[in-house]
Amino acid sequence: MSEEFEPNIVGFACNWCSYAGADLAGTSRMKYPPNIRIIRVMCSGRVSPAFILKAFQMGADGVLVTGCHPGDCHYIAGNLKCEKTMGTTRKLIDVLGIGEERLRLEWVSASEGSKFADVVTDFTNRIRGLGPLSGKSQG
Amino acid sequence: METAEIRIGVYICHCGINIASTVDVDSVRDSISKLPNVIVSRDFKYMCSDPGQELVIKDIKEKGLNRIVVASCSPRMHEPTFRMTIQQAGLNPYCLEMANIREQCSWVHEDREYATEKAVKLVSAAVAKASLLEPLEEKEVEVRPEALVIGGGIAGIQASLDIADAGFKVYLVEREPSIGGHMAQLDKTFPTLDCSACILTPRMVEVERHPNIELLSYSEVIDVSGYIGNFHVKVRKKPRYIKMDKCTGCGMCAEACIMKGRIISEFDVGMGKRSVPYIPFPYAVPSKYTMDSENCLFITKGKCGKSPACKDACSSDAVDFEQKEEIVELDVGTIVVATGFDLFDAKEKPEYGYGLYDNVLSGLEFERLVSSSGPTQGKIIIGGKEPKNVVFVQCVGSRDKSVGNEYCSRVCCMYTAKQAHLVHEKLPDAKLTVFYMDIRAFGKGYEEFYDRVREEGVRYIRGNVSEIIKKGDRLLVMAEDTLLGEPVDIEADLVVLATGIVPRRDVKEVANLLKISQSPDGFFLEGHPKMRPVDTATDGIYLAGCAQGPKDIPDTVAQAKGAASSAMTKMARGKVKVEVTTASVDTFVCRGCGRCVEVCEYGAPNLEEVEPGILVSQINDSICKGCGACSVACPSGAISMKHFKNEQILSQIEAVI
Amino acid sequence: MLRKSHFNIRKFIYDTFDKDAAKVVFEREGIWDCTTCSACLKKCPKGVDTTGIVMGLRGLMVEDGRIPPPIRDALKSIAIHKNPWKISAEERSRWAEGLHVKNISEGGDILYYVGCTPAYDARLQKVARAIVEILNRAGVDFGILGNEEGCCGSEIRRMGDVWTFEYLAEENIEIFKKYNVKKIVTTSPHCYNTFKNEYKGAEFEVQHYTELIASLIEEGRLSFTRQIDKTVTYHDPCFLGKQNGVFDPPRKVLTSIPGIKLVEMDRARERSLCCEGGGGRMWVESEDSEDRLAKIRVGEAMDVGAQILATSCPFCLLTLEDVVKTGDLEESIKVMDIAELVKEAL
Ligand SMILES: Cc1cc2nc3c(=O)[nH]c(=O)nc-3n(C[C@H](O)[C@H](O)[C@H](O)COP(=O)(O)OP(=O)(O)OC[C@H]3O[C@@H](n4cnc5c(N)ncnc54)[C@H](O)[C@@H]3O)c2cc1C
Ligand code: SF4
Ligand code: SF4
Ligand code: SF4
Ligand code: SF4
Ligand code: FES
Repeated sequence: MSEEFEPNIVGFACNWCSYAGADLAGTSRMKYPPNIRIIRVMCSGRVSPAFILKAFQMGADGVLVTGCHPGDCHYIAGNLKCEKTMGTTRKLIDVLGIGEERLRLEWVSASEGSKFADVVTDFTNRIRGLGPLSGKSQG
Repeated sequence: METAEIRIGVYICHCGINIASTVDVDSVRDSISKLPNVIVSRDFKYMCSDPGQELVIKDIKEKGLNRIVVASCSPRMHEPTFRMTIQQAGLNPYCLEMANIREQCSWVHEDREYATEKAVKLVSAAVAKASLLEPLEEKEVEVRPEALVIGGGIAGIQASLDIADAGFKVYLVEREPSIGGHMAQLDKTFPTLDCSACILTPRMVEVERHPNIELLSYSEVIDVSGYIGNFHVKVRKKPRYIKMDKCTGCGMCAEACIMKGRIISEFDVGMGKRSVPYIPFPYAVPSKYTMDSENCLFITKGKCGKSPACKDACSSDAVDFEQKEEIVELDVGTIVVATGFDLFDAKEKPEYGYGLYDNVLSGLEFERLVSSSGPTQGKIIIGGKEPKNVVFVQCVGSRDKSVGNEYCSRVCCMYTAKQAHLVHEKLPDAKLTVFYMDIRAFGKGYEEFYDRVREEGVRYIRGNVSEIIKKGDRLLVMAEDTLLGEPVDIEADLVVLATGIVPRRDVKEVANLLKISQSPDGFFLEGHPKMRPVDTATDGIYLAGCAQGPKDIPDTVAQAKGAASSAMTKMARGKVKVEVTTASVDTFVCRGCGRCVEVCEYGAPNLEEVEPGILVSQINDSICKGCGACSVACPSGAISMKHFKNEQILSQIEAVI
Repeated sequence: MLRKSHFNIRKFIYDTFDKDAAKVVFEREGIWDCTTCSACLKKCPKGVDTTGIVMGLRGLMVEDGRIPPPIRDALKSIAIHKNPWKISAEERSRWAEGLHVKNISEGGDILYYVGCTPAYDARLQKVARAIVEILNRAGVDFGILGNEEGCCGSEIRRMGDVWTFEYLAEENIEIFKKYNVKKIVTTSPHCYNTFKNEYKGAEFEVQHYTELIASLIEEGRLSFTRQIDKTVTYHDPCFLGKQNGVFDPPRKVLTSIPGIKLVEMDRARERSLCCEGGGGRMWVESEDSEDRLAKIRVGEAMDVGAQILATSCPFCLLTLEDVVKTGDLEESIKVMDIAELVKEAL
């Protein structure tokens, strides 16, 4: 693992809370590592295991899914459904040898800009520590 | 389907220096210009300014662009702006995609090289998705100018009057023979001590007289289908065995009935008696009699004396034992749910001896006892005597995990203070004690009222009553004064339990009927605890009063007005936009497993039998909110989400890495 | 236990938040006053596990060895003799001498688990003998463990010694398994409760003897020949009633006995008042006072005109009878176990 390794991280954020939380981190000029690229979905419940697998297949070193806190989902319980799906996806990627620690689910509300920044920073550092998923992947 | 060539225009905004100082805009523009389908790639100081928007319009017209990517601030900020821009140029508003290179790039990163690289990726992803975007038609459905209000307590009454006053037709469905709900049973109301009947009766009469309100009393909603704008509702009108058009409300039948005075009055919560034909209370609306079919000898046994005395007594020939239930079908645009609450059954707390001792009353029983329209004409008499010592016990069945109700009922602190005051007023020498856990006097004038009651000499002791037992013909109330840390014993002639508010017994059935949810406490769940307190997750269905959670009359009325106004907003416009980015099923791929039906919170998907034995899911796009849960759940991959299709998201993933 | 005891669970909870718990408990009076009847547990609106906390705090005392001598002796006796009464395990089955009762090793549908107090206490032996006679009369195929029977551990757990409790539980489960026991009937509600709710991994059905007798009567396997023309009231033992919801079977048995007029005390069923015999209180000296619960209870029974105060728990029987004896009330009221009444009416 070289010092320069910069991981590729794909983020999925639900439109109503987490994407807004990420925006707030920006409006508050908080800083976090640039490795993450966020894809907006309407609800964390929209994130299908196929998206996660595709991301890893394309060379992502980590995937971060963020949704509203339990009880706050704009669609009542999409986030809880997501939690379930992520549970099984985590097992699946473990079996595939990707390692479950490369997939993380976090609840971030629209007011939690700083939490968003912290989560991204922490996750990026962890993945950096884990090293690249496949030898060829380089940031 | 669009077969024309995809021609994309990409516009990268400097946002003054907000973006440009961290992101090398020129370099992004140049990288992007090399991507397939990109016809123009430009940068501009302020894209959202008029010249910025003009630029886009001009390019669309001159260069035949059909997909637009704007890389600038968050779409949460300017997506509506640019959608309008491209619409002006004749494009479908959904042919726009934005890349967030300000909030999620230039503002959060410092290293120019990394930020630029990231910006390129983000814009590439937007371009990739833009290539796959499809135009979507915005849809509106008509909203019928009629509303259904379920429940005729003060919440339902208020909502009906507001909606009807605005000129819309209201069907008010009330299960009991009369409207009025619990408020009709109360004596005076805290904190102002207005007499409940005095402020309620005029409103009830207004309902009856209102040309826009059709009151379906003694009726129940049995089926609801459709969606906002067009709900189809079936209502069962139970037989009263008395013709509404003939009955004058004279009460001769009740006088004549041989069962007179032998049936427990629900209105007086078991403390008074009535006849088989009855009106629940003197100022009932409608003021027509109803035959209590369960207790009528003629109805249950087929025979009552030689001929039923009630029928003989009625000079208008209104008694009609042939009457059958009737199903009425209604079409309405909106629905207000105002089904109210039930009182906690204090028998679930055996230590208080409710149901065992005649001098332990529930809060509601005490309201009847102290009311001048009640069984004792308002005299506080218990066991033939005026009580000398009265003890009130608060939080009975509320804030209590042992009975499964964790919430505060929000009215019992204040109604206890009110009841203590009423006893003091009528029996100035009586010793009054209130046992409480905490006092919640949060409303306007409430703390002042509580202070006033204490000044009147009511003793408040902090502590839960541990048990109430008999001592001679009195009661011994035992507790710990937790402020002093000492046990207290008080002998009482009357104990009043501040019984709490619980969800209606049939709350689950009503929730299923309307496809709305319940919160963990059992009451109906609002759309959002703060921002959408009168909405439900289902468009067009609104909540009012205690059906949504315990509340006092002022809050009930306020919420009812809110629900009415939400319903009216939709009806006044006559149309509502429905979500565009909905789910749709590929009926050839669907295998009818029903996972989507299970997973959807809104009841949008339905399995329909297209051929004998072949089920296929159909998603009603007027109901679908576009969350996407079903498309993830579908094992066959039959469901696609408009504007968030799998291919579109997968292309973004590919581009972003 | 006095109604106005120094024991205040909230004080213990608050003070042990940030202070050395063992010290607080030791310095404060009252930790041994709680009978673990669980009246407060059932009522607590916030779901605080009060009796669990009492047992935990007592555990701290046991660990530190700061326990009242009689409790210490009882704990020691259990370790040595498998019973708290300081009598040899070899004498455990003496009560059954001369009775027609087989050892469970010879088979049987039901294990009659006698319990320490009915096995060793002369007064309670009568109850155990009565139960055996009743079961024999009904033709029930049952057996006992004889000297192999050991303490169930219920009281020791309540005195705070969870370690010994767990050891006893494991050992008992082993013995039950050895004899393939599928169903156990107990004399005491305390054994019943601990088998039913506190034995982890147990695979047997448990019944209190009043439940068994009630069903024998129902099935017509037990009938009465004698009349008992007495007014009887029934004291619900906490561990049977309040804690396990067994209210009706004992009443059913009493009302089936010809002649008995059952009158209820004000505090009946869920509302029952603890006699103060549980939670290890049998081994703690009580101050005599008008406030003693057992005394109040006997008074309540007399108030409703009962000639017999019936109960179905060894500890209740002993505590209540003690009040009758020391108060010279033998002329007015008699404390009896339901089993004794049934036997008398056979
Ligand atoms: C003892 C007591 C004293 C109180 N004192 C005061 C006071 O002094 N001041 C104050 O501000 N508040 C007081 N309150 C609170 C007050 O009663 C409530 O705020 C108010 O009654 C709530 O009105 P509602 O219309 O929401 O419910 P409800 O009064 O319960 O009305 C609901 C109506 O819906 C009908 N209904 C139910 N289900 C259906 C169905 N499925 N189909 C058709 N109809 C249905 C019912 O028959 C009923 O008529 C008191 C409450 C209690 C219990
Ligand atoms: S038929 Fe008889 S019981 Fe029924 S209402 Fe008439 S008089 Fe009363
Ligand atoms: S309003 Fe007062 S009495 Fe009622 S539950 Fe809340 S705290 Fe208890
Ligand atoms: S989950 Fe998919 S396959 Fe199953 S019924 Fe719904 S659309 Fe059809
Ligand atoms: S997208 Fe969501 S709201 Fe629409 S049908 Fe699927 S699960 Fe229901
Ligand atoms: S809308 Fe944020 S998780 Fe569902």
